[in-house]
Amino acid sequence: MEILLSFVVGGLFAASVYLILRRNLVRLVIGIILLSNAVNLLIFTMGRMTRGEPGFIPVGEEFPPELIANPLSQALILTAIVIGFGLLAFTLVLVYRMNKEGRLVDSDALRAEEIDPSVYN
Amino acid sequence: MTAHLLIVLPIVIPFAVGIVTLLLRKKPQWQQWINLVGMVSLMAVAIQLLYVVHTQGIQATTLGDWPAPFGITFVADHLAAIMVLSGALMGVAVSIFGLGDMDKRRVAYGFYPFMNLLIGGVVGAYLTGDLFNLYVWFEVLLIASFVLMALGNTREQLTANIKYVAINLVSSLFFLGGVGLIYGITGSLNMAEVATLLAEIDSPALITTISMLFIVSFGIKSAIFPLYFWLPASYHTPPPTIIALFAGLLTKVGVYALIRVFTLFFTYDVGYTHTILLWVAGFTMVSGVLGAAVQNDFRRVLSFHIVSQIGYMIMGLALFTPVALVGAIFYIVHNQLAKTNLFLISGVANRLEGTFTLKKLGGLYAVYPGLAILFVISSFALAGFPPLTGFWGKLVLAIGALETQEYIILAVALAVGMMTMFSMAKIWMYGFMPGTESNREAGSTDEHTLLGLGNGTATEPYVKSVWVMYLPVVFIAALIVFVSVFFGTVYDVTEQAAIELLDPSLYIDAVLD
Amino acid sequence: MAILFAVFSGFVLSLLAPFLTRPLGRASGWVFALVPVGIVAGLGMHVGAIAAGETASISYEWISITPFDVTLSFYLDGLSLFFSLIVSGVGALIFIYGGGYLEKHHHLGRFYCYLAMFMASMMGMVLADNLLTFYIFFELTSFASFMLIGFNHDNAGSRRSAWQALLVTKAGGLAMLIGFVLIHQVTGTMQISEIIQQGELLTGSEFYLAILILVLGGAFTKSAQFPFYFWLPNAMKAPTPVSAYLHSATMVKAGVYVLARLHPALSGTPEWIAIVTGFGAVTMLVSAWLALQYTDMKSILAYTTVMALGLLTMMLGVGSEIAIKACMLFVLVHALYKASLFMIAGAVDHGIHIRDVTKLGGLRYAMPITFGAAVLAGLSMAGIPPFFGFIGKEIVYEAALQGGVAETMLAVVSVLSNIALVAAAGLLVVRVFLGEQPEATKKAHKAPVALWFGPVLLAGLGLLLGLVPGPFGEYFLVPAVAAVAGEPVEFSLYLWHGFTIELAMSAVTVAAGVALYFGWDAMRRSSIAKAFENGFGAGLDRGYDHTLDGILAFGRWQTRVLQNGYLRYYMSTILSVAIVLIAVSFIRGEVFAWPAAMGGIETFEWVLSGLILGSALGCILFSSRLAAIVSLGIAGFAIALMYLTYGAPDLAKTQFLVETLTVVLFVLVLLDLPNLKETASTFAKGRDALIAVGVGGMVTLLMLAALTIPFDSNMANYYAENTYILGEGRNIVNTILVDFRAIDTFGEIAVLLVAGFGIYALVTLGRSDDEEPAPTTSKETA
Repeated sequence: MEILLSFVVGGLFAASVYLILRRNLVRLVIGIILLSNAVNLLIFTMGRMTRGEPGFIPVGEEFPPELIANPLSQALILTAIVIGFGLLAFTLVLVYRMNKEGRLVDSDALRAEEIDPSVYN
Repeated sequence: MTAHLLIVLPIVIPFAVGIVTLLLRKKPQWQQWINLVGMVSLMAVAIQLLYVVHTQGIQATTLGDWPAPFGITFVADHLAAIMVLSGALMGVAVSIFGLGDMDKRRVAYGFYPFMNLLIGGVVGAYLTGDLFNLYVWFEVLLIASFVLMALGNTREQLTANIKYVAINLVSSLFFLGGVGLIYGITGSLNMAEVATLLAEIDSPALITTISMLFIVSFGIKSAIFPLYFWLPASYHTPPPTIIALFAGLLTKVGVYALIRVFTLFFTYDVGYTHTILLWVAGFTMVSGVLGAAVQNDFRRVLSFHIVSQIGYMIMGLALFTPVALVGAIFYIVHNQLAKTNLFLISGVANRLEGTFTLKKLGGLYAVYPGLAILFVISSFALAGFPPLTGFWGKLVLAIGALETQEYIILAVALAVGMMTMFSMAKIWMYGFMPGTESNREAGSTDEHTLLGLGNGTATEPYVKSVWVMYLPVVFIAALIVFVSVFFGTVYDVTEQAAIELLDPSLYIDAVLD
Repeated sequence: MAILFAVFSGFVLSLLAPFLTRPLGRASGWVFALVPVGIVAGLGMHVGAIAAGETASISYEWISITPFDVTLSFYLDGLSLFFSLIVSGVGALIFIYGGGYLEKHHHLGRFYCYLAMFMASMMGMVLADNLLTFYIFFELTSFASFMLIGFNHDNAGSRRSAWQALLVTKAGGLAMLIGFVLIHQVTGTMQISEIIQQGELLTGSEFYLAILILVLGGAFTKSAQFPFYFWLPNAMKAPTPVSAYLHSATMVKAGVYVLARLHPALSGTPEWIAIVTGFGAVTMLVSAWLALQYTDMKSILAYTTVMALGLLTMMLGVGSEIAIKACMLFVLVHALYKASLFMIAGAVDHGIHIRDVTKLGGLRYAMPITFGAAVLAGLSMAGIPPFFGFIGKEIVYEAALQGGVAETMLAVVSVLSNIALVAAAGLLVVRVFLGEQPEATKKAHKAPVALWFGPVLLAGLGLLLGLVPGPFGEYFLVPAVAAVAGEPVEFSLYLWHGFTIELAMSAVTVAAGVALYFGWDAMRRSSIAKAFENGFGAGLDRGYDHTLDGILAFGRWQTRVLQNGYLRYYMSTILSVAIVLIAVSFIRGEVFAWPAAMGGIETFEWVLSGLILGSALGCILFSSRLAAIVSLGIAGFAIALMYLTYGAPDLAKTQFLVETLTVVLFVLVLLDLPNLKETASTFAKGRDALIAVGVGGMVTLLMLAALTIPFDSNMANYYAENTYILGEGRNIVNTILVDFRAIDTFGEIAVLLVAGFGIYALVTLGRSDDEEPAPTTSKETA
């Protein structure tokens, strides 16, 4: 399964990179969200996968069952998901705000804002 | 004060201040002073921390008293302690400067909380001994920098910010991917343990390949060639206070992270990885300085110079000898001082003349000799003029290059030093020299413009006197002179950092034993 | 004590002068001159001891680190005493002269500040005994010179010249610094007094040639040797007191001083003789004749200064005892007549604001004292007996003939250069002060005392030393030559050497020089002369411009290409770099590996995987905003299901929640956003797809390789085992988050907090609807 997921993650990376390279800022944001998901899945795969056994300690026991899913990688991904959401929400609103500011959602249109004409004439 | 508390306090203080100032949203006046108190205490703690590390060796603590690799460890070695201290110094200077530079609306919208959380993230990144936790701190400082970069919402800030945000998010995700892979092959996140476990892995080439992800992601953050685009694209847009803060902290965290991982983890194929870094260093220096030399705006010149100067730091890392590493670390500190101060000076000049455009500035030399002296100290320090800090930094790096017989990088470093001199002199030639008291093109007399508030979204600052802006500039200039004169002592402390970096067992033992 | 005073008093004066200038008024120059006078007096007390072969030194530890030591150590021997007396002696006169010359200048205080700083740096440099201390002072002279040349800061020419001088000397300085570091590596010491004992070690070292070239780089730029001399005539934009001091008597001799100082350690090899003598000779000959191509008094003086520097260098290159003697003697000869002639030119300029010799004449009546000084200085410059310049020239000829290096050629070069020098002296004195007085110069008046005091004293000294050279030779010249030669020497100075071949050469020189003076106008207008000037005078200056322009043009080009403003290019560059780095490392390390099969794959897992990839593709393909977002949501939900399948219900929940929030947020924002029209060309799409597949492929390969390493579950097991016992929790993941790794969660909350407030600021601060409207509003929103 890890092998299959390696290809899925690779595919997700490819798709998100393609989106990141678009001019449209909305696509860029979609690409970054996808990339974020891909990286989480990467960590999940790297922590190795165990089918179906969540990391719970049954009531009355002191230890979990013998074979459980790696809890550490789950904890990491959980943190990463939430952090990623915070960052992406900000990014999304930034794009929204730029659209308000003058429909600046075409990244090529931002060139004029960046360069100093006295150097680039 | 126990050493354990001492390691954690530098993180706790800015976060506490950040949260308190957030709670006092309606009392911006209070925020300013609480922030200042926080910064000064951070500085005091940082001094104490460096002292303890210097006298008692590497300090480590694991939070919640879990045994070392399982909880999150914080480690203060010389490198981390030096970085925390110089970061805190920048925090103090920028806080004072902000009193006179940050306008009321930006303060009302949370400048102080954001700044403190940024510094908290930076300090956390310096001190953490856990790879994933490093990612978390990076994200904290990143989101804070996103907000600060946009704070004010001027059109140019917004359009610059999207580039800044997008590229840095990609960088972070590459970093996280790298953490995932490292976790996958070692099963650990504790940096000391990862270092020992990596040594047991039979496939150094795989580790080297993974290290490329770190070169790319930290390379973006530290703005090396050819990954630096976000920096010149954005650093000329926010107010001087914010950009001075960024110049002092952001790229330096990236360099810190590069130094950390390429001394602790990725030393299995130094001939390959560090050669890449050496090439990168050379191109970074050249490309940055050429960019700077052709700019006509005070802040843009300085922004490109950040890139160029990063090259010197990477050069020290790439040469990978004790002397060269001292050079790299000393250069970081030197650069924080000089570059932050130059940005602050650009802010003072803007306040006085209402512009950042060099040719419009003019006449500063005739009318403001004090500012001229401060500029000369900072800019000549940056350009490596003896006996100021940059000279010592470049000299030590040059010795490092001679010792390893890397003559090409030596020649490049010297040529770039020349171009740095050229472009610093360019600011002087256009921004300061022309014009006398009587005939210079009169600066704007409109107070609104003089306060740098031309964009209509801002209001005036809380402290209108320009002296509060001069104060931190004098403070940093004095620090530059101090470090220049007492270079021997600073070198000795920095040398300890280099020794620790080149012998990772010191770090590992401090954490795991 | 005298040494410390000599070095540091100037810096103190530099700090105080700006504040004392106004209170002292017209007396300021005279008062400040007391400092250099004090230095002269203090050092003067050492003359006897130094002449007796002793040395004096003091040393303070400053920086002592692993790679090197920097001591503040100063060393007084014949050479450093000789130079330091010239620097402080002329310095005193310049303070007086400058005070008069710039009396009404509102930045007079700053002028004194830089001047004193310069003098102190110069003193520090000539007295320094540590290579790095030496270097620091060497560069400080460049800095002071930078400020002084640019003193007329509102003049674009001044600014350019200051910038040029700084860059040229700084470039050489950097080379010299590396040379010094190499010297340190070879000899193991930074102390000059120790290094000059180790000549054989240095000349025999594999680094010798590198050291030589690097040190010469510093010396030649500072001392304006061919082809670097162009900055010096340009530096004449400085106020004349500065030119008189820095660019004739002192700073430009710093390079010569380096060569003299290190002469015992580096000289005597074929490389030294060839390079140093050669460059010196070319510089001397070219610049002596270039001087005659100009009509501006200061330009003539500037090029004859370059000529003198060439002469000094050439003599050091020859390096025999007599040549060193000629060199040291000429240092003083030149300082005396050149400083006074500069001050005289300044006095003329100050009086009537004309410096063009063709427009000047007959000033002898209007400026009698200045005229007297000019005659004395001019005769010394032309080398007429019984002036000091005569002795200097005789010994130069003698050294050229007997130096043992290319005698005939050096003799011819020396004579040819001196002929031009005689003519130049005529232009500066005869042309300006004799003959008819043009109308424009009628308002000339007697120079104030501050403006003639220095010239008279120096020019008078030129006569006195010519008549009575003996004591000077015994007390100053012999120790200086001994220091340069690195061994004791013995000789006496006489005005009259008898009828020698040198005397005959002198006679020829003077005769030809006089003839040249009378033919000057014709010669200057000849096309050859103009071509010569265009090549070696203006040409080198243009070369500097072209070099700089070239660098800047390249800089603009690379900046336009790299920092081109297009985000997608930034991204594709970054991602391509990532692909290349990873791919190369892969191939180089042969990392490719296929992990052993890990558990079977069930059908619905195939379906899930397909769903994830399919909806990712959907995000790319759908041009409808809503469809793309829904695709994104489906991908997220499919990933959540994947988590659920593999024992991560908490993860799945969070993923569901976050994905839902993201979609909702998107939809809210989307109402305002335009559609996702794809505008890229097929080529661009293909290129981007290539990068995309590259990144994806690299990630997959990395993951596969990483999966071959057996997983170390030690850490994961620890949490499983201790969650309940130590953490008192039953949900292991939660316990890790809130207990074992609580700091991560703390950071996570901080991120959300900042993001929340950031979004608030983003939405409300400076809204275009409560300020003036943004350039284009959202009227055309679909």
